[in-house]
Amino acid sequence: MLELKNISKIYNPGTVTEMCLFEDFNLKVRDGEFISVVGSNGSGKTSMLNIICGSIPINGGEVLINGKNINRLKEHKRYEQMGRVYQNPALGTCPDMTILENMSIADNKGKPFGLGFALNKKRYEFYREQLSSLGLGLEDKMNIKLGSLSGGQRQAVALLMATMTPLEFLILDEHTAALDPHTADIIMELTDKVVREKKLTAIMVTHNLRYAVEYGDRLLMMDRGHIILDKSGEEKANATIDDILDIFNRISIECGN
Amino acid sequence: MKKLIALFITLIITLSFAGCGETKVPVIGINQYGEHASLDNCREGFIEGLKEAGLVEGKDFEIDYQNAGFNDNTATQIAQSFSAKNVSLMCAIATPSATACFAAAEDKDIPVIFNAISDPEQAKLTDGNITGMSDKLPVDAQLQLIRALQPDAKTIGIIYTTSEPNSVSTIADYQAKAADYGFTIEAIGVTAQSEVTQAADTLINKKVDCFSNLTDNNVVGVLASILEKTDEAEIPVYGSEIEQVRIGCVASAGIDYVELGKEAGKMAAAILKGETTATEMDYKTVSEYSTYINSEALKEFGINVPTDIAEKAIEAE
Amino acid sequence: MLDLIISTVTQGFIYALLSFGIYITYKILDFPDLTVDGSFPLGAAVTAVLLLKGVNPYLTLLAAAVVGAIAGFVTGFIHVRLKVRDLLAGIITMTALFSINLQIAGSNLSIERGIDTIFTSPVAMTLLGSATLLVRKLIISLIILIICKVLLDLYFKTKSGYLLKAVGDNSTLVTTLAKDMGRVKIIGLVISNALVALSGAVVCHEQRSFSSTMGTGQMVFGLATVIIGTTIFRNLSFVKGTTAVIVGSVLYKICIQIAINLGLPANLLKLITAVLFLIILVIGNFHKGTVRKNAGA
Repeated sequence: MLELKNISKIYNPGTVTEMCLFEDFNLKVRDGEFISVVGSNGSGKTSMLNIICGSIPINGGEVLINGKNINRLKEHKRYEQMGRVYQNPALGTCPDMTILENMSIADNKGKPFGLGFALNKKRYEFYREQLSSLGLGLEDKMNIKLGSLSGGQRQAVALLMATMTPLEFLILDEHTAALDPHTADIIMELTDKVVREKKLTAIMVTHNLRYAVEYGDRLLMMDRGHIILDKSGEEKANATIDDILDIFNRISIECGN
Repeated sequence: MKKLIALFITLIITLSFAGCGETKVPVIGINQYGEHASLDNCREGFIEGLKEAGLVEGKDFEIDYQNAGFNDNTATQIAQSFSAKNVSLMCAIATPSATACFAAAEDKDIPVIFNAISDPEQAKLTDGNITGMSDKLPVDAQLQLIRALQPDAKTIGIIYTTSEPNSVSTIADYQAKAADYGFTIEAIGVTAQSEVTQAADTLINKKVDCFSNLTDNNVVGVLASILEKTDEAEIPVYGSEIEQVRIGCVASAGIDYVELGKEAGKMAAAILKGETTATEMDYKTVSEYSTYINSEALKEFGINVPTDIAEKAIEAE
Repeated sequence: MLDLIISTVTQGFIYALLSFGIYITYKILDFPDLTVDGSFPLGAAVTAVLLLKGVNPYLTLLAAAVVGAIAGFVTGFIHVRLKVRDLLAGIITMTALFSINLQIAGSNLSIERGIDTIFTSPVAMTLLGSATLLVRKLIISLIILIICKVLLDLYFKTKSGYLLKAVGDNSTLVTTLAKDMGRVKIIGLVISNALVALSGAVVCHEQRSFSSTMGTGQMVFGLATVIIGTTIFRNLSFVKGTTAVIVGSVLYKICIQIAINLGLPANLLKLITAVLFLIILVIGNFHKGTVRKNAGA
């Protein structure tokens, strides 16, 4: 279980641009939950993910995993049990390395990167299988550089790479936002499949209300550092886009957007 | 793109062929560490010395002159190109050039004549097919001169480069002999030319009675700016050779680099004529030195030149 | 003429070791590492002192590589752990090394002919005694170069090597792979500076001297060779980066040699370097432009 307890986060403390985002922010994520998070720009969605992953420091409170405080755990150490897919497809893969090379390093996550050869022929078939499950024909392009793929293809590989090794949590940071609607749909379905198959605990930030409603089993809406809507179970299953859009519009108008 | 590469390679090949014509006249490669007055004098003297020994340029020898722009790597590359071109003899002016030439000449055992090296022993340029002229400073004479011109002076300030073996050994010489003439030495070491003016400020602040220069390349290179400061502080500066006196030092007991070069030129001539070899010849130190004075500068500092010195002294103009 | 080519190519080979180092930091890690100007003479200083003490010439190479590695570690530590910017971290180490080098060597040093170098040692003489020193220098530096190249190429195929490439390519990915990218950077700097110091050591054997200023401008030289090499072979993906860098280094030394042979004043050499550098960069950019245009059509 992942828990954020009494989190406070102040940007630029002590300056004129000081901005308090979170004050006594709390969130409990139960094992196996697939949470989608929506909210306007600046509502703190991505900051929340960054706090969970340790990418930004916090000013107070605790981040707990299974009751254990991980405040002092460095970012890269936290990723030992987390995977993350970014909005920018370029961040999840190495453009100058081939698909095969990318798959190989992702496959080695959690193991030491020593002086053994990186390419493992025995895993070749496994990578092909994984790639063909994407249905993008990438299994026949294993030796081309990732940089020459389209954004959608890259993001698909990035998702594959992020979830290749055993994980507890999957962090999805607006991972469909930079893609065209069709590709976004494909990636979203793929994400759902992976999360279900591997029984991952996932937190997905998205601007797409339809995805937020259709996928996942819990829905959060954030506004100015607060969770203003938290639906799960029956409530979530019965929610419609219109309901959510209604609330969303109301907070946006209050903000003057 | 391929065309460009091809063009580039063709250019390189043509140019490198164009660069080296074969001649039957013995070629002397002169590897001069950089261009400054005393090193230039060495080179001119060297060529003159060859001529004085009866050799004719174009018939008995040809000069391939290169200067390294005070860059050790360039000095090496020049030396290697001399060796590759099979020059008959290398003339190396200043220590880094000599070291480079001697290393490059190792394979073909080309004789090397060095010039303007204060301490060939320390620079390990004494064994083998190498000889030349040392410009070891006449420290005694310089101290004597300063005592004569400034009877009340107590401390002499000297700036030197810690990485130049020549300077280090000359400083040791100064420190050993200063007491004999009633002086103490304030020596400040620098590692780069950029630190020299700061060192000068320090010496001025310590109220030294005068500065004395070595043949230190870093210091000589910025001598003009040192003189600006010392003139303002009314501290006379003694040079180590005539060129420095020309720029504005008051006086110097120093070597005439043209003469030094001539001696080296004669050594080279003897080798080219087959009379002797560089291995057989020992390096020489000039025993003769002259006193150079800059009357204008002396007058400004109100220094009177005793008549016995004034009679022998050469006015540097 | 042949001799001139041999000695120039030898220079290219020896300095290619330095270019390997810069290839790792600049091209792979995207780290402008100025430590080079200090670690190059560091390798030479250690070598000169050990040679004068009578240490086996081949061991001096190893010693130089080790101290170079330490210099790289220091820069890495300053950058990664003390959070100093990459350029500044290199400058700090470089500056410190200037003093350290002089402290090690005392002053500029020469190695007299009586002392064996890697080119004149009994081993070299037994194997290559019939060749002239010039040829021996060529062969021995080529052997050292090939050993380093093969080891590097193999390293780039290991997991650790992949991670190194990944840091330069996309450091975020390395973090999400649960690896400390700072540590990977330090490893890269260690390998790079070990190679640079090795290059300095071989130069010391070859020139029989150490001078405190021999490192000046080496970073720029290395950068130029890396860019020349990789630009020329931009389209030939089967040519390894290490091979391209060797070609770059040899070409560069040839250009300088031509400039000297044409009788151009040494004072202009740096300007020529700059112009050459610019031309190659422009050719590279021009070429990139056409590719993009083609891709768009």
